[in-house]
Amino acid sequence: MRKLLLGLLLASPSLLWAQGSQVNTQSQKAVGMAGAGSALFVDESSIFYSPGALAKMNGNAVSANVSAIMYRSAFQEAGANEVYDTKFKITPPFSVFATFSPEGARWKAGLGIYTPFGGSVNWGEEWPGKYELNHLQMRAIYIQPTISYKITENLGIGAGFVYNLGLVDLSRSLPVSGPDGKSGRAELSGTGTGTGFNVGAHYHVEDVFALSVSYRSKVNTKLKNGDAEFTVPDALASSFPNTTFNAELPLPASLNIGLSFPVSSKVDIAADATFLNYSVYKKLVFDYKDNTPVLTDTEQEKNYKNGFSGKIGVNYQTTPKLALRAGMGYVASPVRAEYVSPETPDNDRIMGSIGFTYGISDKWELSGAYVLQHLKSRHVTSVATGLSGIYETNIHAPGISLTYKW
Amino acid sequence: MKNILKNIHLYIGFASVALLASCKPEIESFKPSAGEQANFSKYIAIGNSLTAGFADGGLYLEGQQVAFPNLIATQLQQVGNKSFNSPFFTEDQRNGSGYLRLKALINGQPQMESVTTELAVRGVNTEGKPLYTKYTEEIHNYGVPGMRLDMAFAPYIGTAMGNPYFERLLPDNTDPMYTYKEHVTSKDHTFFTFWLGNNDVLGYATNGAVEEDATSKLTDVATFKHLYSSFLKDLTTNKQKGILATIPDVTAIPYFTTVTRAALLATVQASAPEVEQLFIETGDGSVRPATDEDLFVLPFSSAGLLGQVTPELPIPYGLHPKNPIESKYVLDPAEVTIIKQRVEDFNNIIKENAKQYDLAVADAYTFLNQVKSPGIMYNGLGINASFITGNAFSLDGIHLTPLGNALMANLFIDAINKTYGSNISKINASNYRGVKFP
Repeated sequence: MRKLLLGLLLASPSLLWAQGSQVNTQSQKAVGMAGAGSALFVDESSIFYSPGALAKMNGNAVSANVSAIMYRSAFQEAGANEVYDTKFKITPPFSVFATFSPEGARWKAGLGIYTPFGGSVNWGEEWPGKYELNHLQMRAIYIQPTISYKITENLGIGAGFVYNLGLVDLSRSLPVSGPDGKSGRAELSGTGTGTGFNVGAHYHVEDVFALSVSYRSKVNTKLKNGDAEFTVPDALASSFPNTTFNAELPLPASLNIGLSFPVSSKVDIAADATFLNYSVYKKLVFDYKDNTPVLTDTEQEKNYKNGFSGKIGVNYQTTPKLALRAGMGYVASPVRAEYVSPETPDNDRIMGSIGFTYGISDKWELSGAYVLQHLKSRHVTSVATGLSGIYETNIHAPGISLTYKW
Repeated sequence: MKNILKNIHLYIGFASVALLASCKPEIESFKPSAGEQANFSKYIAIGNSLTAGFADGGLYLEGQQVAFPNLIATQLQQVGNKSFNSPFFTEDQRNGSGYLRLKALINGQPQMESVTTELAVRGVNTEGKPLYTKYTEEIHNYGVPGMRLDMAFAPYIGTAMGNPYFERLLPDNTDPMYTYKEHVTSKDHTFFTFWLGNNDVLGYATNGAVEEDATSKLTDVATFKHLYSSFLKDLTTNKQKGILATIPDVTAIPYFTTVTRAALLATVQASAPEVEQLFIETGDGSVRPATDEDLFVLPFSSAGLLGQVTPELPIPYGLHPKNPIESKYVLDPAEVTIIKQRVEDFNNIIKENAKQYDLAVADAYTFLNQVKSPGIMYNGLGINASFITGNAFSLDGIHLTPLGNALMANLFIDAINKTYGSNISKINASNYRGVKFP
């Protein structure tokens, strides 16, 4: 008899930081407008949304902001009745912004720490796609020092440096059974780093309009020496040695154009368009340090398209202390149907949001917002695994932030 | 201004409704239904070891529970099936006839052991062959390991000297002339799966194309045609619907494809490098060197005969023309051709009968050929016909793993839906295992 060669298709762990994982919740003011408002809001969160606007901000501020993202997906295999839901889980993306400038200066410095990509999804170990994914948890934390300069009262420019810390933890079932009949399991976790930059300009004519243009570069995140651990029957342990892996993920560049204008003394309308250069994401390669005949390096096709989103919102300053807002938006997914994976079963989505800001005092300000994103149901047949069925996804993201100004 | 205010209220209203309504996404695209043509209220399964859930060289509880008819029956509950009972061994006798288990992999070579505890053996017949604990309550899975189409019509098969798996289903003092066909056609069924005929050709093939007894006889085409049609006639007297299945190709199962000439020779050469050829006895009695076209049966490897000498015949077994590998361990190309042709003839008869009696066909022949080459990818799970690692076939190299049974159930469900316009839900096969590793 020939020596056993396990005919397993191992695990090209397809973690990705897709459009689906991009949930921008850096400022509750923008969340309240479904992501619009980069031109409208001139405050500490401009470090993220519009670095050119930062220098125009009055005084200085520190703000802390947290959201509760609930990513809820369901899957039904083609020709089957049963519906599998992801486990309920709240992901708390956060952001902290702080600014500094001497009074009256034409420049302002700032620091932003935020999580532009991230999410958590857990399908469990009994759903039809378990050999693709059990659970995935990931977060990209961007640390961004920024400097902004006011060329004229109307025109500001800014630039920042981005250092990215990426954390990922995922598991999937392996098609090998032990004496108890249960599937094996692969768990991969690691930390990666990358760098990039952002630049932007902000131009406004008081009480007429404001325009923001900003660009965030691609951030190539390199995961080095991540841990790969395998739970397999003893007889196969030598084929699945616990080892380490390297991988590389491009987080795409984006260009954002925002416009806002007042329609009355109390009401402003803002619109934003964002282009995501996701076509850089062609494939995902996993390089295991120790290879065996069944544990080989993997290369997974991704073939993303470019992504786009359009958002529009209205801001209503009811009283000097209270602003209310609402917004809606549309996101065109970069993921082609045959490459959709359970990590983020992405599709085009519509968003609706509401929000408020309340001035507690001259120094303290409280904002809150809630956005609901509904992904169009998606019929997929994965080229990588053959998994065929329908995904249905809703994302809920309520959030709150507190700002201290001086 | 007023408009905008109004709109804000509208937005808030919309958003709150959306929040309440869509916390959890809903999918409602699949509605199970029986359709108009078939009635699934009383489904019975007729067949051999595959229908019974035989696996790993034995019939045991875990295999019985995942037999493809049992998996189908679970899905039929959503479309009107009332009950489906199977002659399960009890928990205390869960290992039934006993079975093979993988003990270890040594340098990648599988080492098997037999499970011999918690058996359901109640005694032996006069030939010393085991008899199993009886199960005479009403059942719906009539799968009997070893059942052949010709035996289904034969007397004495239900006796202690006949087929012990059929004998265990019958009350004591059953008329010895009582046949399997009589038994299963008297059950007032409304729907059936019928997968007989495999053993009428595979019994011959697995015995190396040597006819030793009734179980290794090759049924002739005319007999097969007559019996198949007359069985179906009795199953459809009340215009019942059902599904037939074709017979797999002999070269699609690991029982015939795992042990190769090259592998055997390499084993011999490890200790005797001077050996260059193996010798076999062909079907016509001639002796010649083995070629890569000859198919060795899986048990030949574990029989440990190769290279053995006996005091009576001090010539190493299989290494010399004067002591060749016996014909029953090998299918030569002429035998393979005969068997392939017979499978093809039987499958044509099966398909003709499906047309004649307006029945569905699960094309197991085509499906298992796909499993063999190029293999199938099911939800990230690679499945092929390799022994042990291919996930589809159990340790006997013939019968299916739980995963193989789940895929087979889905093949049947697909064919039933297509033929009868029903909407029976498929099974999530990824929750079923392949071979168990130690």
